Amino acid sequence: MEQLPQQLVNGIWQGAALALFALGFALVFGLLDVVNLAHGATYMWGAFFGLVCVTRLGWPFWAALPGAMVGAGLLAVLLERLAFKPLRTLTTGSLILWGGFLLLLLGLVGFHGGEFQAALVGLGAVLMLLGLVQDYRAARPLLQRSMPYLAPMIASIGASTILISLARGQFGAQVSRFPPDLFPTTPYPLGQAVVIAPIQLLVLAVALVLMIGLHLLIARTRTGRAIRAIAWSERTARLLGINADLVIAQTFFVSGALAGAAGALLGLAFNRIEPTMGTQIELAGLVVIVVGGMSSIGGTVVAAFLVGLLRVLGVAYVDSSFRDALVFALLILVLLARPQGLFGRASSTRA
Amino acid sequence: MRVVGLSVLVALSLALSGCASGAAPGASPAGPAQGSGTAAGGLAGEVPVGAVWSLTGAAAVYGTVQKNAADLAANEINRAGFLGSAKLKLITEDDRSTREGGIAAFEKLLNRDRVVAILGPTLSNTARAADPMAQDKGVVVLGVSNTADGIVEMGDFVFRDSLPESDVQPNTIRKTKDKLGYRRVAVLYGDDDAFTKAGYDVFSKALADAGVEVVATETFKKGDTDFSAQLTKIRGLNPDAIVLSALVEEAAGIMTQARQLGIPPSVPFIGGNGFNSPKLAQLAGSAAEGAISGAAWFISDDTPGNADFVKAYRDQYGADPDQFAAQAYTGVYLLATAMKNANSSDPRAIRDALAQLKDVPTVLGSFSFDASRNPVHPPVVQIVQDGKFTLFK
Repeated sequence: MEQLPQQLVNGIWQGAALALFALGFALVFGLLDVVNLAHGATYMWGAFFGLVCVTRLGWPFWAALPGAMVGAGLLAVLLERLAFKPLRTLTTGSLILWGGFLLLLLGLVGFHGGEFQAALVGLGAVLMLLGLVQDYRAARPLLQRSMPYLAPMIASIGASTILISLARGQFGAQVSRFPPDLFPTTPYPLGQAVVIAPIQLLVLAVALVLMIGLHLLIARTRTGRAIRAIAWSERTARLLGINADLVIAQTFFVSGALAGAAGALLGLAFNRIEPTMGTQIELAGLVVIVVGGMSSIGGTVVAAFLVGLLRVLGVAYVDSSFRDALVFALLILVLLARPQGLFGRASSTRA
Repeated sequence: MRVVGLSVLVALSLALSGCASGAAPGASPAGPAQGSGTAAGGLAGEVPVGAVWSLTGAAAVYGTVQKNAADLAANEINRAGFLGSAKLKLITEDDRSTREGGIAAFEKLLNRDRVVAILGPTLSNTARAADPMAQDKGVVVLGVSNTADGIVEMGDFVFRDSLPESDVQPNTIRKTKDKLGYRRVAVLYGDDDAFTKAGYDVFSKALADAGVEVVATETFKKGDTDFSAQLTKIRGLNPDAIVLSALVEEAAGIMTQARQLGIPPSVPFIGGNGFNSPKLAQLAGSAAEGAISGAAWFISDDTPGNADFVKAYRDQYGADPDQFAAQAYTGVYLLATAMKNANSSDPRAIRDALAQLKDVPTVLGSFSFDASRNPVHPPVVQIVQDGKFTLFK
């Protein structure tokens, strides 16, 4: 029993990191009803962006964290334009974007020799940029349809696989880490037999700040109102003159930035960055949004802390074999007792 | 309805993400097999030898150095004319750190490339799944990193040159117990991996034999990143040392988090083969200081040819070799020596010659196979000091 306070601390800071990750999930689901299974890969790339900022650009960590967020945010926007938007509205821009993307991939994975490859990558990047602009300007799409339920999820799985492979090609399959002593490791005592490491404190603080920021963004700003309007009905929002494509891009940016922050912070806290690091947290994140009520922000946060604590306490008081079993037992319990999630409203009045 | 539908999607995505995480297999060119299948009629031409390493996935840390070291040894053998006019042709396959990948690699090497012997695979788990295929086919498989139990027991064509944990660990405990004066230890191990589980079994027996009290036994899973729950429990019991059976990536995470939780550096980590990589100090930084491990090989040991091997490896790959490199390097030489002694590339003749190897001078020391095809050579104990392994004295 005397270990309980420390176990609670362990669970709480991990719950905070999980909340950061899951909020991005919930945001996208609330907006488009899409389960973005490339969110874990975005998280992983966020960690690598942070790592690149520190090791190759020599930035201090306080600058690398925003760097990771911006990088992962932009990646998420690109992902939306590549994998999700063409499923709703196909424009000539999307086709150009895809062409550029394929060239870029060819340039990145091929073995044609330096200059040709660099030219392919360059051409691909320019085409992608052109495609993005053209896609944004396009007034008359080639094809417009309501999105089938499964297609975007399958597309996001494909995107996730590509992102993981690219990371493996770029950084190798081995575990990377931030340089040692980037952050002090001496723990702060919180009380008798309770300590917290500086990095864990940072995770907690950053997570709380970002959560409050997200709440204010959704509840108080014009963009937040537009997001809520689109979540309620994209068609109505468009008729009311909301630039839905811009708002969707902004939402994906925020979602990606949150994942990037979680990736860089956990990559540093756990000392372990690798191309497949997103898979584990993605499962936990899925449970969190279902338990929390899919698109409810407060619900997601509470569920994230719940799952974080359950994972730690499950190992502490049961056995490491039951860690995921307990989490999924919680999922089944919630689905049985409250299918709309702990904090979700029935779907007819949602959002 | 929506939420119920979603839960189905979640389940589906779990299944799919499981499939999606595998890497594309690295294919290597396979020419026509020459010299294989010929009866004991001397040694000539190219002798195809398979090598199955984990070049991607969880064990890539080990597989990569094994490939480097095996390639180095094969090149040396071919350049020096060790086999007369015959040349070793190493055909490398990636098993992606999985059993399925190992089976696919063995399938290709045995049936398509018709190799006369196979080195590897990297993980004991994979070896248990794939080695029986070579046994059925009557082709020698020489494990160079399989240290778990139940490997050579699979058949008379299965050998290993990696000292099993059951030879290394008792030696480690014996040598360190009195010098460090620990009486109460906590044990932490990965219970879903044949290698770390076997390490745990051996440690608990060695600890019992040495009269050391085990105050807690905790487990974790392969690929786990958070160990705070287990370490908090261990911290509450104030052990004198922590015995850890883990692969290097988990071991590094555990050491870092132990110090973050305030377990003092005066409580050392004692481990087995999984620690034996320069990666440990790279990944764990100052948290790895004082970590102790038993090993089959030590970088500045004065075994025959060791200095030359270390230099050649450094020159070629720009990094220090580790124990896995030394064992892979030795494996290629053992196979070549057996072929030379048998003067044949017939798999059966190679098997018989290999089984008879005695007191061969290798970088691991004077090397023999015992009657059950296990290696016999002296182990060492090492400790991390200033970010490097040094001999524990």
